[in-house]
Amino acid sequence: MMAALLEVRGLTRVFGGIRAVDSLSFDAHEGGITGLIGPNGAGKTTVFNLITGVYRPTAGTVCLAGGRLTGCRPDDVVRAGVARTFQNIRLFARRTCLENVTTPILARASYGPIAAVLRTPSARSAERAAREKAFAIMEELGIERFASFQASNLPYGMQRKLEIARALACSPKVLLLDEPAAGMNDAETHELGETIKRALEDFGVTILLIEHHINLVLDICTHVVVMERGALLAHGTPGDIRENPAVVEAYLGRRRRDRA
Amino acid sequence: MFLQTLVTGLSIGSIYSLMAVGYSLIFSVLSFSNFAHGAVIMLGAYIGLALAAKLGLGFVLVLSGAVAGAGLIAIVNERVAYAALRRRGAPSLYLMISAMGCSMFLENMVYATIGARFYAFPEFFKSQSVRLWGSSLSLLDLCAFVISMAAIFALQIFITRTRTGIAIRAGVNDMTMCSLMGVDTDRLISVVFFLAGAFAGVAGVFLGIRYLVYPTMGWVTNKAYIAAVIGGLGSLPGAMIGGLILGVLETLVSTYVSSVMRDVFSFTALIALLICLPNGLMGTETEDKV
Amino acid sequence: MYYYYVLNIFLLACINMIAVLGVSIFTGFTGLFSLGHAAFVGIGAYTAGVLTYHWYVPFPLAILAGMLASGIAGLVIGIPTLRAKLRSDYFAIAILGFGEALRVCLENLSITNGARGLSLDELSGSAWVVGALLASLAFTRSLLRSRFGAMFMAIREDPVAAEMAGINLFRTRLLSLVVSAVLCGASGALLAHRIAFIQPVMFTMTQSTQLLASVIAGGMGSISGPAIVSFIFTALPEMLRKLEMYRLPAYGLLLVVIMIFRPQGLMGYREIPDLLRGTRDLLLARRVR
Repeated sequence: MMAALLEVRGLTRVFGGIRAVDSLSFDAHEGGITGLIGPNGAGKTTVFNLITGVYRPTAGTVCLAGGRLTGCRPDDVVRAGVARTFQNIRLFARRTCLENVTTPILARASYGPIAAVLRTPSARSAERAAREKAFAIMEELGIERFASFQASNLPYGMQRKLEIARALACSPKVLLLDEPAAGMNDAETHELGETIKRALEDFGVTILLIEHHINLVLDICTHVVVMERGALLAHGTPGDIRENPAVVEAYLGRRRRDRA
Repeated sequence: MFLQTLVTGLSIGSIYSLMAVGYSLIFSVLSFSNFAHGAVIMLGAYIGLALAAKLGLGFVLVLSGAVAGAGLIAIVNERVAYAALRRRGAPSLYLMISAMGCSMFLENMVYATIGARFYAFPEFFKSQSVRLWGSSLSLLDLCAFVISMAAIFALQIFITRTRTGIAIRAGVNDMTMCSLMGVDTDRLISVVFFLAGAFAGVAGVFLGIRYLVYPTMGWVTNKAYIAAVIGGLGSLPGAMIGGLILGVLETLVSTYVSSVMRDVFSFTALIALLICLPNGLMGTETEDKV
Repeated sequence: MYYYYVLNIFLLACINMIAVLGVSIFTGFTGLFSLGHAAFVGIGAYTAGVLTYHWYVPFPLAILAGMLASGIAGLVIGIPTLRAKLRSDYFAIAILGFGEALRVCLENLSITNGARGLSLDELSGSAWVVGALLASLAFTRSLLRSRFGAMFMAIREDPVAAEMAGINLFRTRLLSLVVSAVLCGASGALLAHRIAFIQPVMFTMTQSTQLLASVIAGGMGSISGPAIVSFIFTALPEMLRKLEMYRLPAYGLLLVVIMIFRPQGLMGYREIPDLLRGTRDLLLARRVR
């Protein structure tokens, strides 16, 4: 059994009387891909916002490798080792793709304003190292040819990949992907799945994935957490989930009927 | 003496409230700071002044004229300077810059055409006063307070009881959803601007009567912005209460400490409040939608 | 005589450009709105002016003191208002209140000689002014090319995503404010000793709007654009004396028109060298798609 890297315990968030997330507990195991699925409005993105400190939980804790993340500001959460992408892509639109990816690396660089203004050798080398690292990440994801393009000019699928590259540039232990395949066709989705698996191997990150393409989830995830109305409905391996009657009823079953 | 100071403070505070409510109304619907609000107040005062001095109208007609005029100016202002930005979903920074441009344009056009002269309203309230519990309270103070509070109360009823008012409150929560539900957002926003402008007109007339009418008189709106922050940015009851509190405290400071310290005080109060209560008295914690 | 007149305008334009650089860092690169940067110019002017007037402090030290005082004022306003959870409107409103409070103080203190103003010595010679401008340009360019520039622009583009890239919003915004206030302070100290006379009315919202207008018209996210425009804005009114009355309304109208039709301003997130490169990128982009 792999160790739990990210532990979510009793996580609850109430918005004006509605329990958007209701005492949710689950683990994301080191080196695995954990899928977080559930119908629209089940509170999946809210879980991401709670983990990353964008929202403050009403109750419950999130720990990364034993250290508490709850109550930290988002930038501290990132420093602790959690990075994310957004459901509705949020790139630095008017900067180049390379600059998008260098930004998180530079944010962690240690030189101060005086070194920056004097352009000391250490500042220069830190900037060069950041560019090289960013370019390497982009190469890994196969988007290096767009390096000098303005981010907003990229095709949609490439923007998604660029966001993943930017998140990887935070050197995360855990990477949260919020519907990375949204709006993609089957071929693109399949390719994205390969990219995610590659990222897992090459960067050694643990992945938590929100996704509606159920086949992608069952295909690449090692573990699946199913949410319904803010609460945990089921969890287990993709095989378990496929067979779980409650899940089939609440989620998969209804979808199958919809399609028929 | 204290009661008199208190009533003066409440009267000034009620004018701040009027301005702050107008500003907050626009802020809560479009979520940007309309820095042209002061210019609309100034124009309202000039309209009132023209009606009073040139046409010799009575107080009620002057006030109605200023309300209608300032309301229309606010609508035109929105249509010309914000509508295009709003429709293409421009960042609120752009709207604030555009608002500032309007303010600068209007103020300086008045300066260039009418001139920098200070004008006084004819004396509507002579120096009549009402005796109450041994203090003499000025009729102007009482009138300003009562009319301002009545206007804010009417707005409250409008917003909670009428169809348009309810649509406005829905727009506060989600403008896009509102337009998907078939609400004509352009018309709704015009109504919001008319209301804010109407409030600006009342405030302009009272400011003009209390002080004088001149091109940069709208700068007093800074106080309304501060009042809105004290009450909690975007909250209408907060804006009203913030205005009253600021007016009373300022009057107390200028009576018992020094009138020079008044403006320094309101800034210090703002900073102190932001340190202790960043969301103001009645504001809710803001969290970005991600 | 004519030579002196032209030189004077040139030097005033240079001094103005330093303040515009400051506003450009804050508004153009960090995406925050300010209607009160003239207050920082005023603090720099009065700090330096009072020091040379009353205590005969050497001019270079007076400039440094002016910059320091503006920077501290930036901290005082920025710390309560730039916190990550607060909307940028809070800062915009607080700085308006600050400008008003500052004017009242300046008008009523005896050390500043109140509303009548201070007459100073004309110490800002050409060498000082041009030297300060070049230093400010070099400073701004280096800062914006560094990691701090990257962080400023990330915040401008998307504060939420910036925070999720590990950027401390509060500290980075505060740094941007303090740097811009320091530049405005330097501009004020030079201005005071160039026109040799300062009055509180020289540092009101009207001046703040003019600074903002230069940045917007020149292009947010550009250094060269605002620099060029601030030069035009200083020199043009001198040539069009007759239209002086309509200068400020024209600035106001310009802001509205730019926001509606060309929010990127003259240079729009570019510098002059980029314009040459831009054409090439555009062609490349077509091919890849």
